[in-house]
Amino acid sequence: MKTDAAGAGRSIYLPDFCTSRASLVVILIVELTALVLTLARQNASIDFWGELARTSFFLLWIGLAAAGLLCLVHENLTKLNVTQGSAVVFALIAAVISIVSAFAIYVGRTEVVNNLGVAELFPHDAGPFVLRNVLIGLIITALALRYFFVTHEWRRNVEMRAAARVHALQARIRPHFLFNSMNTIASLTRTNPVLAEQAVQDLADLFRANLNEKRNILLLQEEVEVAHIYQRIEQLRLGERLRVDWKIDALPNDALVPGLMLQPLLENAIYHGIEPRPEGGTVTVTGEIANGLITIVVRNPVGESTSERGGNQLALANIRERLTLMYEESALVKSGRFDAEYIVTLRFPYVEKRERLVT
Amino acid sequence: MTLKVLIVDDEPPARERLKSLLSEIPDTEVVGEAVNGQQSLDRTHELVPDVVLLDVRMPGMDGIEVARHLNALDEPPAVIFTTAFDEYAVNAFEAHAVGYLLKPIRKEKLAAALVRASRLTRPQLQKVAAAASNGKRRTHIAARRREGLRLIPVEDVQFFLAEQKYTTVRHVSGEDLIEDSLRSLEEELGDDFVRIHRNALVSVRYLERIERSDDGQYFVRLRGCAAPLQVSRRMAGELRDRFRI
Repeated sequence: MKTDAAGAGRSIYLPDFCTSRASLVVILIVELTALVLTLARQNASIDFWGELARTSFFLLWIGLAAAGLLCLVHENLTKLNVTQGSAVVFALIAAVISIVSAFAIYVGRTEVVNNLGVAELFPHDAGPFVLRNVLIGLIITALALRYFFVTHEWRRNVEMRAAARVHALQARIRPHFLFNSMNTIASLTRTNPVLAEQAVQDLADLFRANLNEKRNILLLQEEVEVAHIYQRIEQLRLGERLRVDWKIDALPNDALVPGLMLQPLLENAIYHGIEPRPEGGTVTVTGEIANGLITIVVRNPVGESTSERGGNQLALANIRERLTLMYEESALVKSGRFDAEYIVTLRFPYVEKRERLVT
Repeated sequence: MTLKVLIVDDEPPARERLKSLLSEIPDTEVVGEAVNGQQSLDRTHELVPDVVLLDVRMPGMDGIEVARHLNALDEPPAVIFTTAFDEYAVNAFEAHAVGYLLKPIRKEKLAAALVRASRLTRPQLQKVAAAASNGKRRTHIAARRREGLRLIPVEDVQFFLAEQKYTTVRHVSGEDLIEDSLRSLEEELGDDFVRIHRNALVSVRYLERIERSDDGQYFVRLRGCAAPLQVSRRMAGELRDRFRI
């Protein structure tokens, strides 16, 4: 494989430390380390809270300076492989710890501190102090890097699984739909060449959207367009039996969504809800936005269980996985049968800029 | 001699295309069109076509089931299946030498299939149905009436009663005679029906309650049926176990 996903696997696994999320993780690591160090040093003569505050203060300087530095070099780090990247991170952190430690010693020796009478709060054994700090820092860094590495690997795994499922899904759906559409076009070529031409163009657009592996993230508007094209093709075949009621004017066109999110839902609704019914029916697509959350609901009629076609869970599981990958726990995919309807609900935050995505 | 053809497909463009192809094949005539199972039985009865071009995937009842019902007619027509993509069905057609055409259909292949078209035999159809529908059972029971074949949805059936030569099917809109044996019906309809007597198979869906008379005889009452049906001694135990009564 020479896709982007595989390429990312060979480069550095660290998160982008410019994000507030990563800074939070750094602060957490710092505070936990401070707690461990203070607890280890604990004896009756030491004031616990004072000690914890002092250690935290010192470590926060190191932590935030390191995070800031990693944020600056992030671009360059991504060009390195795992070993090189890790080595650079270790070197950077050792340097940051040395500088901050030396600075602490320097401040402790200044007149201001001496005049204030708080000199005993600062370290004095210059050499051993720096060495000790660098050692502790490197051990903590090793643990943290291991944590980031495992998280990254897990995430990459999920992504690859999702990609594999997209391919499986495409391979599964295509034949039935393709041959029926070809038959429709063959018929239209004789009876209505203009419509036949449009159908060929629509089919080409639909396949382009399907085959394009790069277009993982689309504007909602583009995704809706793909669904419309799909509907046009099915309409030729099913005629009056298929009605689709679009109520999505409230939705922002520029919201970011995973590609092939809506079209497979429409395909499912038609395949399971409309095609098996001699009298056809209406698929309703409703879109709402409230409190920065977009809700899309697709509903179709369902008949008695006897004539139902099995196996519509694959597409849904796939959409759930990709939406979760994009929006983590703020994404929601629900589905179920309520009375005579099958209802799928998608909910995800309105994000219009790629940079703001958690990935 | 002109070959009379009936086209059965639920999709208008598919029917249009077949009509237009057939108009270019000499000695053939499209006598009618149908869009579903019941309509194709009615048209066949009425127009007596030589060949039926039958779509495999249709809403309500699939083409293979339609073919089985067509076969119950006195003079069943030859059947050629048409399908866009259906691996199971195509494999079954291949295995049992049943005529079929893949959509979009080529004119030469259509012409050749019409020449070869022949009536399907009952065993052929049963094997195809078993292989192609993947364990799916009939959704309708075909009953012979004077005006042709009537299709009774399985979910409307209250019970089957075996008589000497025929089987009586009692359903929500009346009573009809069918040729299927009780044993084959029980095998096919399995879980939704239960045998209560050597001569009676009742729908679980309509089962209301089980009663015991003073002399120890068991009866079942079915929703929508006035008269109770007798349960044989042998089946009473099984019935009690199954419904925990």
